[in-house]
Amino acid sequence: MTSAVDMLERLLTHPLRFLSSALPVGLALLLVLLANLPVSFTGGVLPAPVLALAAVYFWVLVRPDLVPPFAVLMIGLMEDLLSGGPPGLWAAGFLAAYALTDRQRETFAGLAGAGALLGFAGAMLLAGATAYVLAMIIYVRFPPLPPLLLESVSTVLFYPLIAFPMGWVHRKIVGQMRGGE
Amino acid sequence: MAGFVWRLTRGRGAKQFSLAVCGVLAVVIAFLGKAEASIFDNARATLSDWTGPGLTELRAPLLAVEQWIDNIGTIFTVYRENIQLRQENAELHKWQNVALALENRMQRYELLLHAVPDPRLASITARIIGESNRPFIKTLILNAGTAQQVKKGEAVVDDRGLLGRIYVSGERTSWVILLTDMNSKVPVVIEPSHRRAILTGDNTPSPRLELDVGDGPIKAGDRVISTADGGLLPPDVSVGVVMGKGDDIRVALSARPDTADFVHVIDYHIPEPPPAIGPVAGTPAVGPAAARDATPPAAVAAIVAPKPTTQVNTAPLQSQNLTEPQFDGQNEEQDR
Repeated sequence: MTSAVDMLERLLTHPLRFLSSALPVGLALLLVLLANLPVSFTGGVLPAPVLALAAVYFWVLVRPDLVPPFAVLMIGLMEDLLSGGPPGLWAAGFLAAYALTDRQRETFAGLAGAGALLGFAGAMLLAGATAYVLAMIIYVRFPPLPPLLLESVSTVLFYPLIAFPMGWVHRKIVGQMRGGE
Repeated sequence: MAGFVWRLTRGRGAKQFSLAVCGVLAVVIAFLGKAEASIFDNARATLSDWTGPGLTELRAPLLAVEQWIDNIGTIFTVYRENIQLRQENAELHKWQNVALALENRMQRYELLLHAVPDPRLASITARIIGESNRPFIKTLILNAGTAQQVKKGEAVVDDRGLLGRIYVSGERTSWVILLTDMNSKVPVVIEPSHRRAILTGDNTPSPRLELDVGDGPIKAGDRVISTADGGLLPPDVSVGVVMGKGDDIRVALSARPDTADFVHVIDYHIPEPPPAIGPVAGTPAVGPAAARDATPPAAVAAIVAPKPTTQVNTAPLQSQNLTEPQFDGQNEEQDR
């Protein structure tokens, strides 16, 4: 309740700062929408990537204070609902990736180039494995593994395309507002 | 459980505690989603109703980019494809003439046999506004819902064949579970052996055929069509062709969800069974002669019309105490 009042107060006193602090979650939600559009830029060869996970990973590294666990749960749930899958699978996967990234933030943030891609691949692998195990328990059978692996590869390949614009938003908008605080 | 959460969160602050709570919540939601699917189906329908306009707007420019990327690859093969398409077109014209001749012949046969015509199927054309090709689900989102009379369970077809079924219907959007999804099971018939089977999706592009009834031979290239068994789907919709052999028989699907833009949602109902022919109130139970004068309901008349017209022995019937109108088939004009 207090946090809701705080948020309202922040929105009224510093609307721009509040909006910029909501950008990471807003962008992740936008990516959920984007990933579920009926278009495939790989001609249907690769499944749609889990773009929102790339956004969550990026923002947990640079501004973990703007991506609370509850927001990650909501992003994951929206991914589940919009992708049509069983609810909770990607929500749990996102939270597992969040936990790993948050715990090893110093290590992941220090990675650059191909290392950064490998770091994200690790987070993606954990998210996928969590979702897979949960799906296995719920369906009481082994879901086919290749589609999940393909989706993981697709998501990792798309990571730079997400990380670059997110970096720009971080430098030009979110970071600027932080400096003005 | 509480001890585990305590150990996990001890010394790591409120953030770790909220992370653990959210994790538990996600798992609870996953199990709840299995036990009480309707709650989340309603949430999904509401969410897709809400995001539907956004999906439509975002889709247009992205679709243009996708087509542009696709076209780059076809620039170099356009001449060869053109020749191939002309050949296919000429071949299809021949088949069209054959189909029209067969259609005419079928109509004549149906007329001669007084066959009950198949009911015309009402359908709604809807645009695909969302797609999910994910490890655990294969679905499409359509821009038509209960406001357009789209109902759960209805068949969805594209111009080539059966795509799947509606499994969630919101007010303005609905969700299609594709035949390739691992939760999809639909009854089909294999032609020409007329063997029945269940088409089971397993998240691969070619779903598996689980043979059900009959023992006719099945070979690669046999046609697979839908059947109305179970009242789930309209009959005779093209599903695909058989591929593979041995125990692993699969179907190469006719429909192409990745290239479909508009689809048809078919409103199919199992035809109502004819009402039982019982004694009419006030009509005395008399013999066959009086029964022939009775006028059956129109629907019943249509069904009984093709009865054999010869070799019917009515003698045992006359000895019974008949309480129902009888149509002995010996004098069709009177029977009607």
